Amino acid sequence: MTGERKIIFHIDVNSAYLSWEAVDQLQHGASLDIRTIPAVIGGNPEKRHGIVLAKSIPAKKYQIKTGETLYAARLKCPGLAIFPPRYDLYVRCSEAMLDLLREYSPSLQRYSIDEVFLDYTHMEKHFGDPREAAHQIKDRIYRELGFTVNIGISSNKLLAKMASDFSKPNKVHTLFPEEIPEKLWPLPVEDLFMVGRATAPKLHRLGIYTIGDLARADPALLKKRLKSHGLLIWNYANGREDSPVGDFPGIKSVGNSSTIAFDVEDRKTAHMFLLSLSEMVAMRLRNAGYLARLVVVSLKSQDFFSYSHQRQLYTATDSTNRIYAAAVSIFDEMWQGEPLRAIGVRAGALVDGSLQQLSLFDPGDWLKQRAMDAAVDKIRTKYGSNMIMRAVFLHSGIKPLTGGVWEEDYPMMSSLL
Amino acid sequence: MKVLMKPVDMIATYPRDGLPIPHKYRIADTDGTARVIKVDRILYRTEEKLAGNRMLIYRCQSTIAGTQRVYELKYELNTCRWFLYKM
Ligand SMILES: [Mg+2]
Repeated sequence: MTGERKIIFHIDVNSAYLSWEAVDQLQHGASLDIRTIPAVIGGNPEKRHGIVLAKSIPAKKYQIKTGETLYAARLKCPGLAIFPPRYDLYVRCSEAMLDLLREYSPSLQRYSIDEVFLDYTHMEKHFGDPREAAHQIKDRIYRELGFTVNIGISSNKLLAKMASDFSKPNKVHTLFPEEIPEKLWPLPVEDLFMVGRATAPKLHRLGIYTIGDLARADPALLKKRLKSHGLLIWNYANGREDSPVGDFPGIKSVGNSSTIAFDVEDRKTAHMFLLSLSEMVAMRLRNAGYLARLVVVSLKSQDFFSYSHQRQLYTATDSTNRIYAAAVSIFDEMWQGEPLRAIGVRAGALVDGSLQQLSLFDPGDWLKQRAMDAAVDKIRTKYGSNMIMRAVFLHSGIKPLTGGVWEEDYPMMSSLL
Repeated sequence: MKVLMKPVDMIATYPRDGLPIPHKYRIADTDGTARVIKVDRILYRTEEKLAGNRMLIYRCQSTIAGTQRVYELKYELNTCRWFLYKM
């Protein structure tokens, strides 16, 4: 091993929500470990149809899948045990794991509530061989915190993340560049990070079925068919990725999404959700002192197919109206009219909010808008968020502000490493 | 010992420079009547933070119905609740 090579760990909690629920129950005296029976964590049971958020390994044997409805899951396994999600518990477990990991490196990146990248480069002299250290970390998390993790080890974040996914639970895997042909290339192409449900069929049409096929494909062809995304996944298939761990100090984007209790089928209602989400996103931006140069809208349809589109803004903003206007135009471009189950708005490419660059294209009343946003924030902070709302929400049954779930501060799986 | 994890009413002291010390507690008996048990001795104390939730575990000794029993109490820091953990 050369001295130059980085050592990156990707730590991923096995069936996180379900494991955490199991440990909490056991700690409070339960005699049954729900990890050992067919069990799921099911999305909001009060709403019309909850969905499966996490499943036990025995539940997996019944072909129960994350994202399907509880109703469908119960049909596959009538005795299925269902537990509601508890985000406060998940936050606590996630924090405890992070605290433990901090003992092994100062350089960490929390990738999601149950995934962390850890830069182990130069740490050998403190904690020994990477494999041994990873085993030690994994065993300590199990012994002290009660749940199992997988740890993937490699020289970059992408390969480490691919490695942690190999076989579960409670395992350490390596995927160094020299192991790529043997360990990565035989896998189906849809297992590759960033190859989603929209991309896989396009690759299949090009005769690309394995990650190895993609690695050996002609990059010019991929670029032609899939634009820059084609080049990105071609590089990933070859194990090329070099973003640093902890790339994003603080929050990298502010977003909110809302799973809706009914299917949204008309544009007007969808726009109201966008406004409700934009209100909260913009308020949080202003609160944190950021301006955004990017707005992302993500949609999830009835069959849980999700996709997102984004747009760069000419100038950075924290205005509710400008974020809403961008969200609406993105939405109108991308939405095909399918019934929607969830809508998300995210503001990214954040910059310091203390200086604001104006553009000729900004609405002329931007100073007034700013003052209005500030006044609304003040009223909401002082008297509660529902004290003031846009008239469009009156009697609509839609909340004038949506979001605030901390989990949304973490990037979703589909975002960049 | 069997896991019971029954909540109890506790009288404890909370020293200014240390962790809580259980003295006596009240627990509902199987027939519903309340029974008060005095902690005769604390044998040792351990700590756990399963699921990130800190709990103190006290291995204790008491005389219950004329016989000396060894058992465990648990204190959940997050909620300030006491439990008869194992007996
Ligand atoms: Mg996981």
